[in-house]
Amino acid sequence: MSDVLRISIPLTVWLASFSAIYGLHGLACSANWTSAAFLGLPLARAALVAAWIAAIALQLGLVFAMKSHQFGSRSLFVRWISVTLSLAALVASLWTLFPVVATSACL
Amino acid sequence: MNALQRHRALTRIWSSEQGWRGWFTTVNHSDVGRMFLFAAAFFFAVGGVLAMLIRAQLATPRSAFMGPDVYNQVFTMHGTIMMFLFAIPLFEGLTVYMLPKLLGTRDLAFPRLTAYGFWCYVFGGAMLIFALLAGIAPDSGWFMYPPLSSTLGSPGINSDFWLIGITFVEISAIAAAVEITVTVLRYRAPGMSLDKMPIYAWYALVVAVMILTGFPPLILGSILLELERAFGMPFFQAAEGGDSLLWQHLFWLFGHPEVYIIFLPAAGVVSTILPVMARTTLLGYGWVVAAAVSLGVLSFGLWVHHMFTTGIPHMGLAFFSAASTLVAVPTGVQIFAWIGTLWKGSPQLRLPMLWILAFFATFVIGGLTGVMVAVVPFDWQVHDTHFVVAHLHYVLVGGFVFPMLAALYYWLPHVTGRKRFFKLGETAFWLIAIGFHVTFLAVHWVGLLGMRRRIHTYDEGQGWEVINLISSIGGFVTAVGFALVFVDIAVNAAVAIRGSRDPWKAGTLEWAMPTPPPAYNFASLPEVQNRDPLYHDPALPVRIARGEGYLGTPRGDRRETLTVSITSGRPDYLVVFPGNTALPIMMAFVTGGIFLGMLVKAYWLVPLSLVGVGALMMRWVWTLGRRDDVGPQDIGRGVALHSAAEAADPPGWWGSLFLLLADATFFGSLLFGYAFLWTVAPNWPPSSYLEPDVLGLGLVLAGAILAPLGIRLAERQVERHAAPYPGLALAAVGGMALALAACLVPLGRPAPDFHAYDATLWVIAGYALFHAALAAGMTLFLAARAWAGFVSARRCGEVRTVRLWVDYAAVTTLIGLAASYLPGALT
Repeated sequence: MSDVLRISIPLTVWLASFSAIYGLHGLACSANWTSAAFLGLPLARAALVAAWIAAIALQLGLVFAMKSHQFGSRSLFVRWISVTLSLAALVASLWTLFPVVATSACL
Repeated sequence: MNALQRHRALTRIWSSEQGWRGWFTTVNHSDVGRMFLFAAAFFFAVGGVLAMLIRAQLATPRSAFMGPDVYNQVFTMHGTIMMFLFAIPLFEGLTVYMLPKLLGTRDLAFPRLTAYGFWCYVFGGAMLIFALLAGIAPDSGWFMYPPLSSTLGSPGINSDFWLIGITFVEISAIAAAVEITVTVLRYRAPGMSLDKMPIYAWYALVVAVMILTGFPPLILGSILLELERAFGMPFFQAAEGGDSLLWQHLFWLFGHPEVYIIFLPAAGVVSTILPVMARTTLLGYGWVVAAAVSLGVLSFGLWVHHMFTTGIPHMGLAFFSAASTLVAVPTGVQIFAWIGTLWKGSPQLRLPMLWILAFFATFVIGGLTGVMVAVVPFDWQVHDTHFVVAHLHYVLVGGFVFPMLAALYYWLPHVTGRKRFFKLGETAFWLIAIGFHVTFLAVHWVGLLGMRRRIHTYDEGQGWEVINLISSIGGFVTAVGFALVFVDIAVNAAVAIRGSRDPWKAGTLEWAMPTPPPAYNFASLPEVQNRDPLYHDPALPVRIARGEGYLGTPRGDRRETLTVSITSGRPDYLVVFPGNTALPIMMAFVTGGIFLGMLVKAYWLVPLSLVGVGALMMRWVWTLGRRDDVGPQDIGRGVALHSAAEAADPPGWWGSLFLLLADATFFGSLLFGYAFLWTVAPNWPPSSYLEPDVLGLGLVLAGAILAPLGIRLAERQVERHAAPYPGLALAAVGGMALALAACLVPLGRPAPDFHAYDATLWVIAGYALFHAALAAGMTLFLAARAWAGFVSARRCGEVRTVRLWVDYAAVTTLIGLAASYLPGALT
């Protein structure tokens, strides 16, 4: 079962962070967080960027965990698949959530 | 025992009953798989006739062939049948039939569940066909957007048939998904580690998990819309705090993964057949597995790209546009792996290969137009035009139907045991391939010229007439091609000459048995050491028939097979399957009473049927397990294993785990809907929120502590050879406290048709009540099982299975009631 989790967790974490940031975006816009500021940025933008950075950090952590002897699989095949999928999830987090720094927040 | 005696003994044990009764009592996966395939082919033919009616209508401007009312029913039913009654069931049928054979085992994990799923599919599909014949079929489009599908836009019974019939059919999909997941993970030939699994099994596993997590949002949406239509609970009515966009979110949370649920099995078929046709092995097996898993998960992040024109902020659009383009990468990895496989092999242009080439050409075009509509400004231009109709047909026909035709011709010799003789299939191929492209290239074109989808007619002078006529001619050519396929199959199955066992010289295990396959699949279970066992050991079929594998000596009337550990494929437990029974069809029939009662508004039938289902479920479970500890039993080759009844994680535990995954997705979707309405829907807040009260909070906290504590106490008592009743009593009391807490939620609130908030409270409370009552009921049933001797220190798997359900009820009731009290606590 733990090998099934190793294969399924990385992209599931991407999906969870992607959905959470989309939800945060909806909340920020409906609660009008664009009118408040945090560290010189509109609060909505600051919260979304912080969430994006946290998602990337989490994915990086998963890449290292899947490669480690402590958390990685003893099966070479599962280890290879889980590391590959962790990298795919990292790229997915970078690419699909990149709009938090590239587009208008609530227009 | 020689091979013939073994064959006769196993056939007697595993066969369905003789005569007509066998159709209704069989639980054998080959029988049920064939029945699924025949039913799916029937529904495909019905959907195809509807497609021809559409093309006849659109062939000329101002056509009087159909009026708008009939046309609406025809295009709605065409999409509905093709998606829900053809595509998914065809995957189920193919997988039910083929998976155990590919994995080197004798049946699927839960044979009676396979049959139950099939009968739910047939009964649910029959409801929709009845509606079609009676002229009261759904008419709001296959994605049923409210308010078109609510009582405002569709006051008759039409939409009810869709919501209730499709939900009934979806039981079948969920049942099959649980079945497939557990089978792939646990029911494989000994030695078949994860890296030695046939590639189709990986795809089936990914698709099954996608069904478990993709279908629940639609089931929830259908329930909410039916509650709105039947009882006025305004989930989608803006005036009362609902929002029609909630339906779109729930529908496409299902709908986009659905596209990949349809495509991935076809990709699995291509990855299986293509290397055989190219006389080589699949290039980049690990990359293909990684691509399939990636595609499966990424597809859940695309749903909003169906909603680009609904006024979502730019950043939201950009998220989903980026995710939509990203899926092209794993798709590309698979396509390059297939091209590489062709490159390293020596391709032979036989009929399955022709269909794969047609798939390549068509699906790549469909994929590219998919990337086009993933780009927001382009999508704004072509949204709701025939361009989108053409795109989805390229993806679904090119990406699913063509590979499935390859599968049909590839595995036909396996099903019939005959060598295809007449060459109608090649003629059919060219008719379909050419006809399809003529039809849908034209549909792309007319879409770019602005023709909207779902219009029953159009005026002259818009430049659409000739294109539509060409498209309709292409459509009828395609239909003639499909008719020829049916004729070809019937003729070859009936009169072609006997064929050889492995006509394609393939390496996978389904070709290691006689054809047509015997009811037991393998006379003995092979020890697998390679991904393509027959390439490395051509004598394997003979050794299997001689009983040199595992379980080569039949024991009494027992249908025996093995489970293995997930990663290594090491033999784990001996499983004894139930025999033929009418229980699945009876239970599907009684389940139908729940849906029929809702449909015809005979609400008295709903609780009555629920009680009937509960009684039959108890009968179902009661026949499982053992009343004594047997200990290790010989399985051949010098190995002895415990029976699954003595496992800490019996098959029922695994089935429950994955069923609860689907249940948790349903619950998560419900919380998402609640949060969506709370933050986005107009006309919020409601006039008042639910106030937290001490009694409710006390009950839910007490229940959430007592129920899990009690079941753990019972488990510990069983492990120490003591009676589990005190622990079970505590768990049952905890479950009742949770149920009571759920009942208190709507008390004192306005009626559920007052505001979407109150309607949501009723649904959350109902969900919690159902699960708490279920957990309490299962606990009491377990006490009866323990009393009858089914539970012991060695046979404690049932307690662990019930523990899953009790824990789940406690956690979801706690979360659900916390969410109900939250707005009141915050204000």
